[in-house]
Amino acid sequence: MDGRTREYLEGRFGDYYRSTDVPLPPAPGEREWGVIPWSAGGTRMHRHQSLLDLGDLSDYLARSAPRHVYFSSARFADPGAASMDDKDWREADLVFDIDADHLPGIDPETTGYADMLDAGKEALLDLLDLLEDDFDFEEMQAVFSGGRGYHVHVRDESVRGLDSEARREIVDYIRAIDLDFDALIETRQHGTTTQRVLRTEGGWGRRTHRRLLEFVDALLEMEEDAALSRLKELDGIGDGRAKTILGAFRNNPDAVREGNVEAGGPGVRTLVEALAHETVEDETSPIDEPVTTDTKRLIRLPKSLHGGSGLVVEPLDRDEIDDFDPLSDAVPDRFRGRDIAVKVTDPGEVEFDGDSFTLDSGVQSVDESLGVFLMTRGRAEKVTE
Amino acid sequence: MRMRPLHARYPFFAAAREAVESADVAIATLVAEDAPAVERGVERVERALMEGTVEPDPDEAYGWDTQTELLSYPISRIIVSLVETPAAVDKYARAEADTAYERMLADFDAGDDDVHGEARANLDDFLREFDLDGAVRAESNRNRNSRRAPDHYWVDVGPYLTYSDTDWGADWRLVNRSLADGAVRVTREELSELLREAVRRRVAEGLPFAVRGSDAGDRLADALKPHVERLRNLLSDRGAVNVVYVDSVDPDHFPPCVEALLARAQDGETLPNEAAFALAAFLVGVGLEPEAVGGVVGDANAEELQKRATVLADSSGSQYAPPTCETMQAYDLCVNRDDRCDTIKHPMKYFETATNDADATAADEVAD
Repeated sequence: MDGRTREYLEGRFGDYYRSTDVPLPPAPGEREWGVIPWSAGGTRMHRHQSLLDLGDLSDYLARSAPRHVYFSSARFADPGAASMDDKDWREADLVFDIDADHLPGIDPETTGYADMLDAGKEALLDLLDLLEDDFDFEEMQAVFSGGRGYHVHVRDESVRGLDSEARREIVDYIRAIDLDFDALIETRQHGTTTQRVLRTEGGWGRRTHRRLLEFVDALLEMEEDAALSRLKELDGIGDGRAKTILGAFRNNPDAVREGNVEAGGPGVRTLVEALAHETVEDETSPIDEPVTTDTKRLIRLPKSLHGGSGLVVEPLDRDEIDDFDPLSDAVPDRFRGRDIAVKVTDPGEVEFDGDSFTLDSGVQSVDESLGVFLMTRGRAEKVTE
Repeated sequence: MRMRPLHARYPFFAAAREAVESADVAIATLVAEDAPAVERGVERVERALMEGTVEPDPDEAYGWDTQTELLSYPISRIIVSLVETPAAVDKYARAEADTAYERMLADFDAGDDDVHGEARANLDDFLREFDLDGAVRAESNRNRNSRRAPDHYWVDVGPYLTYSDTDWGADWRLVNRSLADGAVRVTREELSELLREAVRRRVAEGLPFAVRGSDAGDRLADALKPHVERLRNLLSDRGAVNVVYVDSVDPDHFPPCVEALLARAQDGETLPNEAAFALAAFLVGVGLEPEAVGGVVGDANAEELQKRATVLADSSGSQYAPPTCETMQAYDLCVNRDDRCDTIKHPMKYFETATNDADATAADEVAD
């Protein structure tokens, strides 16, 4: 990035911060802060700073207009100390990171930015479903990272003290790593008889059970032939087993509702296994493990600007997420409605602000919001008006 | 605050500590007078380190009174701090927790009309003690009329992850648990295991602490010195010898002292404490599984030594090295010395060199 572009962006980031209220996270004085300034290549992080060092945050951001702004998920006794030991770790928010670069089935080389962000949002919704339904966390904040993904900050007191190993357990649950599929069905004593029962009380057993019930409901609405064919689509289920299963579901629908998988014979077990794998495939969320297990990590400050996209690190209300489109909703209004001259150095396809178009190379006049987006992403440079 | 039998039973409870603090007895005085609480405190540590329990020796003819039993706990904490072996704190805390666990299970099973009621704690007492009363809920029995204790409980996920350990097995992994609405389903037994871990951490907290450094502390340490030295010798010097890894354990390569101990055990003799420890520690040290130890020492000693071996070998990586030659001599266990004994200072070294020499001989034979 050339000096003129850097200076221009620094000035515009400063304008953004002067016109925007950036809220502080809880306990800001106990956190470590870090910034990457625009100067000198813009890669060196100034960290180990306390709020005391920075002074009033809004004022600091307006004055210094950094390229990137971070704060620690952890709370320390002495956040400004230079070494981690001296900081004296107290507790840390539980943080999740969904990075569209690392999503299964997504090749960053061939997938467009907008499609990557869409895939990231699907993963975010799966994550939130687990955090709400299974974990019942209450103090949660979902955030668009300003770059290629989403963050979720969980601040329930009951998890803030967890160490790295305990946090890994949460990661493994969310990704269903090392899930023992066989153990989803257990043998239970009922009086003098034993019964094979799907664990419906919670966890991946309960999720599998929900899917099983949906499957059964759909099956019972089908014609006999269609229902049998549907069952036979599964590996290991032939004519005989399909009839046994269907018969059991029809004769005793309550049994399966209670998780009893004894009645339909061995075929039901095959069915449950297939559905369990489907459940895991569908409902896990591919979160980035090291971000969650590292209890001393710095994370981007919500409402700050991402220096690699010019987009706002946007906190999201739960009911906004479905309709949220980062490439228009996270565009800072401050940069809209005024044309600026830039020289496009990397022409081609661009998706921005609800639009998709092809960009020519060379000097041209564009809306400032697009100009900032292109410059921060290294596709254009500032030229004199 | 009066010292109650319940405090003696669970001396790590906050109320027990308060009872000790508010009592009109100074630990320093007890130690200076070598009061019964000191003897019991030493026993507590010794049995913790050697046998994995802090229960009083059942063979002793008399029981300890409530005050002695309770006061022995802070004394044992001083002693274990003075032993200055990292593994000692770990073993000690585990033993306190294991003993509390056994007592807890007995108490939870005892009915309300039990005559020892005052000395017993119920589940609610334990949950309150560890600030878990809001974090654990009983699952209602299917049969509402049942008067039995619930089979299952729901533990909030934060405390569950805090007190469970993935080393306990795959079924403790959160991913394999029923997690719903922020809580994890556990059986009654599993809940007790979580409480055992809570106890272990409570006991280990602050250990070891610096005893010396003040006049009073130095006097305390000096007065306890003989006890501490004896315990240290018993433990031998951890780190001086590593576990010897060999493909197979050949008793022909055992040093004469261990051979003698093994023969005594196989003859059905009940080995004295130091001898039993030395034998079990050696066998664990050469790589025998606890079950295998039980298998080679003869029926009379199988159970006892296998138990010791289990304590010594437990997976925390804090196993004790067996005693040195010097310690063996001090306990009159160094017998039938041979030429190799003059070249080594540790029975483990004897085994290692004897095994290596035999391997080298075998290799020569093949090479020829």
